[in-house]
Amino acid sequence: MSTLKLDHVTKAFDDGSEDIIAVDDLSMTIDDGEFLVLVGPSGCGKSTTLRMLAGLETITAGEIHLGDRVINDVKPKDRDVAMVFQSYALYPHMTVRENMNFGLEESTTLSDEEIRPLVTETAEMLGIDELLDRTPDELSGGQQQRVALGRAIVRDPEVFLMDEPLSNLDAKLRSDMRTELQQLQGELGTTTVYVTHDQTEAMTMGDRIAILNDGVLQQVATPLEAYHRPANRFVAGFIGDPSMNFFEMTVQDDRLVTEQFTYPLTRKLRDAVDDVSQVTFGVRPESIELTQATAAIDHESVEFIAEVSDEHSFETIVDVVEPMGNENTIHLSFSGADDATFVATIDGERELTPGQTVVAHIPESEIHLFDGETGLAVHNRLRDESEATESTM
Amino acid sequence: MTDGGSAVSTDEPTLLSNVSDEFLGSLLFWLPPFLLMGFFVYGAIGWNFVISLTETSGFGGVDYSQLDIEQYTRAFGDPTFINATTNTFVLLITFTAVCLAIGLLLAIMMDRKLRFDNGFRTIYLLPMSLSFVVTAQFWLWMYNYDNGLINIIISSLGFSKYQWISNPDLVLSAVIFALVWQFSGYAMVVYLAGLRAIPQEQYEAARTDGANTLRLYQRVIIPQLKGATISASVVLMVFALKAFDFLYSLTGSYIPPKGSDILATMMVRQAFRINNQAYAAAIGIMLFALALAIITPYLTYQHRRGEL
Repeated sequence: MSTLKLDHVTKAFDDGSEDIIAVDDLSMTIDDGEFLVLVGPSGCGKSTTLRMLAGLETITAGEIHLGDRVINDVKPKDRDVAMVFQSYALYPHMTVRENMNFGLEESTTLSDEEIRPLVTETAEMLGIDELLDRTPDELSGGQQQRVALGRAIVRDPEVFLMDEPLSNLDAKLRSDMRTELQQLQGELGTTTVYVTHDQTEAMTMGDRIAILNDGVLQQVATPLEAYHRPANRFVAGFIGDPSMNFFEMTVQDDRLVTEQFTYPLTRKLRDAVDDVSQVTFGVRPESIELTQATAAIDHESVEFIAEVSDEHSFETIVDVVEPMGNENTIHLSFSGADDATFVATIDGERELTPGQTVVAHIPESEIHLFDGETGLAVHNRLRDESEATESTM
Repeated sequence: MTDGGSAVSTDEPTLLSNVSDEFLGSLLFWLPPFLLMGFFVYGAIGWNFVISLTETSGFGGVDYSQLDIEQYTRAFGDPTFINATTNTFVLLITFTAVCLAIGLLLAIMMDRKLRFDNGFRTIYLLPMSLSFVVTAQFWLWMYNYDNGLINIIISSLGFSKYQWISNPDLVLSAVIFALVWQFSGYAMVVYLAGLRAIPQEQYEAARTDGANTLRLYQRVIIPQLKGATISASVVLMVFALKAFDFLYSLTGSYIPPKGSDILATMMVRQAFRINNQAYAAAIGIMLFALALAIITPYLTYQHRRGEL
């Protein structure tokens, strides 16, 4: 088990006329025993990064260190890493036992007598000892997935590399395996790099997550840090489901202005946007408080005026309600501006109907502000003070 | 019977009438070819078998009065037959094995992203499209003692020339070589299709598992080409049994070069030159049995995999 360090790693693919940069100057350190999740949309370079770690792709520039050796030119077979593939890549002509033997036979000098108990033990740990004599085509998807894991685990490598290992499973099994895989990794303590496009997997499994976009590392942080203190607009939009709401706004005096609404800032926040004129205003769906305007029906305008008199509250119309059971996802638009929609989540017990007018309160403590040009965070929502002073990235 | 297929029918044997309706209706389509095929192929084979039990010689009438297996016992005591059988097996096995080996090698090279691989694929496959008559003539020139390319090459390397065709010890190898040249491209195409069906992850998994290139092919890739090997070898073996055309074209007569007599050439010679019709029929039946013995395991394999 070792620290894995990427030092200004770049990967360019030669596409005849021009180079396509898949991974651009990526530097990060994955600590010994850490579970790091590489996450990003399709084509962001996460799989390429993993394949460079495995030695399946060459590195155009930069260095990869495993422990204290540079492994740029070390062949995959000599790297002591084990990889789990999305398709599992089990050898179809071998039994489960032979599949699990293979790595040990090829990468170690252990005798058959020494390999046998190791494989049996690992199979028992994963609950696949009953399947050892079967071939992959006789196994269900979940069982194949376990065998693929077993094949990696039995080798006791320095690093596990996992390329979307759960994405071929159905939803229920996937969430079970998520927990189990995390537990397993904790017990084994093997440094793990896990690639996924699924932000739920990233949030729930990783000790830290590394968010990539267009081959560029956006942020490396703990899941909560990435959620509450995103380094830039991309991370803010990628992490969290439903996604954060964004509005492009202009700074005018001590207010943020857009066509649909105006959001006044207090002194402290105003200082944060001192250097920028255009900002992206972000707020998470669960931070928006909806006040039902039903009260307004009883007391007519009186109550209504009281609601919107708060300068951070806005009159909105419910467009769509998506019940999720535990919560409802509400799609809203500002009254008089159908094109500016945003999403809020509310308790599943509360009932709203499309067309209804509600008041959306966006507390100033909950908002994120990003530089309108660079997308970098200029202000993140306030949590406790200790975290507020800690720097991200 | 008219509403036999309807679910509300009160006719008792609904299923049966349904089946027979379909049976009768489809008869028109499959019966004529069935009869023609049965008569001209299997009937002819059966008739040939009956002839092989007689003593007929020449192409006159056949005397069916006395049927025995004398022609078969005669064959096993005939050194020409034993020699032809040995040659047939040598040709069959060596040709198939060498073709498969070369085909596999070529396919792996092609699969490893050789440049212009489409061009090469055509070049390797091209000989197969030629007729045996053409390739036989071509290789006669190649093997020519005085100005054949093979002898020119080896003599320029300082070796003495060989009588490739007229030396009985060399001719079978020379024929096998020529046939391999013609058919290894076919083996390559079959293997290439097999290789292309193996997902890239198999290679990557084996590499990260610690296998070097040799071990990777030996333990992971080649075992997965079992199906390709079986289908290619069946086709190649059947071609080997049909090598008659090639040998016939070498000399243009029923007597192939000494040392290259195989069952097919012997059978034709017995039938049409020596006029031993019954003996030729017996050899034909044994050749047929050999072909069946080759193809049956393949069909069983296919059947078991549900592909037949």
